[in-house]
Amino acid sequence: MKIIDTIMRHLKKLPALVKHHPSWTFILFGVLVSLIAFLPHIGIMRFGTMSTVYAYIIILTTVALGLNLLLGFSGLISLGTAGFVGAGALGTAVFLNMGFPLEIAVLAVLFISGLIGAVIGLFSLKVESIYLAIATLFVGEIMRQIYTNVPIFGGQELNLGDDSRNFVTFFGVWELSFFDQMHRSILFVIITAAMVLSMIIIHHIIKSRTGRALMAMSRSQHAAQAMGVSLIKYRVMAFVIATLFATFGGVLYGIYYQSVPTEQWNLDLSLFLIAMIVVGGLKSIYGTVLGVFIIHGVPNLWLKNWFGDVSYVFSGVLIIAVIIFYPRGFIHIGHDLRRAYAGLRTRMRKKVKHHGEN
Amino acid sequence: MADFLRLVFNGFTSGSAYALAALGIVLIWRTSRTTNFAQGLIGTLNAYVAAWFILSQGWSIWLASLAALVTAFATGIIIDTIIIRPAAKVSPISKQIITLGIIMVIIGIIPWFFGTSRYQMPRFIPLSQSIDVAGATLHLNTILTLVVTLGIMAVMFWFIQFTRWGLATRVTASDETTSKLMGVPTKTITMVSWATAAILGTLAAIIVAPRTEVHVMMLITVQVSAFFAGTLGGFTTFFGPVVGAFIIAFGRNFAMFYISDIWGNVLLYMSILVFLYFRPYGIFGKKPSKKV
Amino acid sequence: MAKTNGPILEVDGVSMYFGGLKAVDNLSFTVNRGEIIGLIGPNGAGKTTVFNCVTQFYKTYDGGIYFHTDDASRVNLRDIKVTNVIDCGLVRTFQNVELVPDLTILDNLLIGAHNRFTTGIIQHIFRTKKAREEEKRFIEKAHEILRFLNIYALKDMYVSGQPYGILKKIEIARTLMSEPKMIILDEPAAGLNERETNELQKLIYEIREKYDVTILLIEHDMGFVMNICDRVVAINFGQFIAMDTPKMIQQNKAVQEAYLGKDD
Repeated sequence: MKIIDTIMRHLKKLPALVKHHPSWTFILFGVLVSLIAFLPHIGIMRFGTMSTVYAYIIILTTVALGLNLLLGFSGLISLGTAGFVGAGALGTAVFLNMGFPLEIAVLAVLFISGLIGAVIGLFSLKVESIYLAIATLFVGEIMRQIYTNVPIFGGQELNLGDDSRNFVTFFGVWELSFFDQMHRSILFVIITAAMVLSMIIIHHIIKSRTGRALMAMSRSQHAAQAMGVSLIKYRVMAFVIATLFATFGGVLYGIYYQSVPTEQWNLDLSLFLIAMIVVGGLKSIYGTVLGVFIIHGVPNLWLKNWFGDVSYVFSGVLIIAVIIFYPRGFIHIGHDLRRAYAGLRTRMRKKVKHHGEN
Repeated sequence: MADFLRLVFNGFTSGSAYALAALGIVLIWRTSRTTNFAQGLIGTLNAYVAAWFILSQGWSIWLASLAALVTAFATGIIIDTIIIRPAAKVSPISKQIITLGIIMVIIGIIPWFFGTSRYQMPRFIPLSQSIDVAGATLHLNTILTLVVTLGIMAVMFWFIQFTRWGLATRVTASDETTSKLMGVPTKTITMVSWATAAILGTLAAIIVAPRTEVHVMMLITVQVSAFFAGTLGGFTTFFGPVVGAFIIAFGRNFAMFYISDIWGNVLLYMSILVFLYFRPYGIFGKKPSKKV
Repeated sequence: MAKTNGPILEVDGVSMYFGGLKAVDNLSFTVNRGEIIGLIGPNGAGKTTVFNCVTQFYKTYDGGIYFHTDDASRVNLRDIKVTNVIDCGLVRTFQNVELVPDLTILDNLLIGAHNRFTTGIIQHIFRTKKAREEEKRFIEKAHEILRFLNIYALKDMYVSGQPYGILKKIEIARTLMSEPKMIILDEPAAGLNERETNELQKLIYEIREKYDVTILLIEHDMGFVMNICDRVVAINFGQFIAMDTPKMIQQNKAVQEAYLGKDD
């Protein structure tokens, strides 16, 4: 009992720490995550696991953070997220293959995606609810059709680097290849840093005037307008931010894997991304990470090994169960556990007292 | 002319499939306020049932389809009872994600029951039986598909417009809480809606199956097109999505044949988006009223 | 009593139609600086429609609505976007409390200062010194208002789950964040018990004194209106009936007729 008490006491400090020094806790979190990059080198983890599970979790987290801002804070849904992730990954590859340096390629892709995001934002002023959701699905489908049909995207997949091997060059000098194990770990650290940066940016946005305006806009449109929140400005801003993060996630995909398929940027991925933030916790940054881990990590780390194809059933049941029992997101389980523990403790105390009295 | 007719005839089949799926989606949207992303896979699951009866048990396609419709009905009821109803209180977005959960469960179940191979599915009437219309071949199966689809829709519209249960469905669709207070059995309505939607999805799957074989991804295009049809026609009516479905089916065929097989789809989608900008609630949809 | 300075709001021959229905019909009245004015009328008389026209949620009205930002300048509110009305110093509350339930009370107040911020999203992302200082300044201002309204202790609690009386207070507090010259209150006493209504009455006086604002309010609680208002505008079917002191309004035959059968 005493040990649990001590642990609980320290756990209780955690929310306060997260609350008062959020940026530092994000960085600390990033440092812990980047330790994963070393695990394969000392034989604790397979390189494949690092790449297919953890690197992908980092990339999807970056994407989902933007989507969480859109869905959780602005109450707007997008079923076209995958299209923008594809735009980031494939677009970077296309620009690199055209001979542009990496940094220019990334900026160009972000710029183009941001413009499309702004157009969707303007569109969202006219079209709402399920119509808006499906309008974004149109955008996603249009992008998917373009990726799979237009030859510039290479048909099946597009490789970064030259004919002989895949690599990306940072700052014009620093060449890193996915096929080199050391490089791959460095790339892992780079995308982790990018994820931490995204977390800090999102945190700063949501804890500012912009975040409050987005929430006011979705919770009570008229009051928001009366307080001076311009719907055009903030709708556009919400979609631009979400598409930029989706695209940035795609860029990370390109940089890390250095080989980008054209087929997988479809509705399924968009839905999974929504599932991740809903399951993890809307409006929560750590909830987003948790959601991505539950939906991508848990099946790929464990369920698939244990159950094979049937693992999908477990993932599906997991999603349904979490939503029914934790409608506000799995991240709140900590809160509930603490409460349950507190309840248990008072009951125990009462019992002890009771015994004493007898 | 022959090309044109061929495209029209082709559009009959895909349009029927889109329309059936779209109707299912609208039914669920209106009674459960959720976008049912699992509509396609519920149909696919039951198409597997039909294919299994035909290939393993030697049943005829007619009997096997009937069996599949029965299992579809059961699927709908099971989904409503054990998943949708317990989740009645969750937010609309979470409900949509629940349907994603259903997708994953079905994707996991299918190889478990039916293995991973693709199934060939016969047509109701073999392709050899056809008539010639101005140089274009019109298969009897296409006519049957269209007649069955339109027949089912006619029955559904009649049911919704003119029966007591139909009225109950409509009032549940417009305001569930009030309906419940007025004594409308909204639970039953929702359950029957899921069952009906599952049947509609299964019919769409059986129509599409001979063209593509039965496999997990067979209804993806149908499902996405059905969503588009609902948006184009308007989710507030039951016939709007049907019209939208045929517009999309014909539009896609024409655009891909006459304009470009790469850009045809893209152009079609773009024009629908532009249309939506000017009519945000679809062709027949109405704007919900809002108060300041 | 009323400091009868110059006019601050002029409603001049305003009409508003919904389809064929005339919600407001050639309505004119003037509010003077520093006054507390009540707008009364039976249900469906078009009171909220008037507010929506004044605050520019409806733009399709006929006639003119003018606001004097100070003694020298007079703006036609029609030229102002709905989101910029607040910049003129004109701010409102809503009939059904419209707050952000999943933000803290403090954050809800900061929304009221939305247009006062000079830093943008880029500065917020980088947490520049200027952005931090500005945020801090507004938080302090919010603290001051919350203390004034006696709800400072609740500042870090979420809005959802708060009792109705507190919600009404938060909404008023939010209007004060924008440094308004005139506050429009849509049924501020609705849903409040007698003690809360009395407290609200005191509060409205204090707000006028401390923040030097003019107040225009809709209210069904006649006792409240007659107690608090300097002058009262009575309308029915969107038409002007009378504008006078509470005492005179109560004796006005036309007003009594409009309310006949309502027993107020």
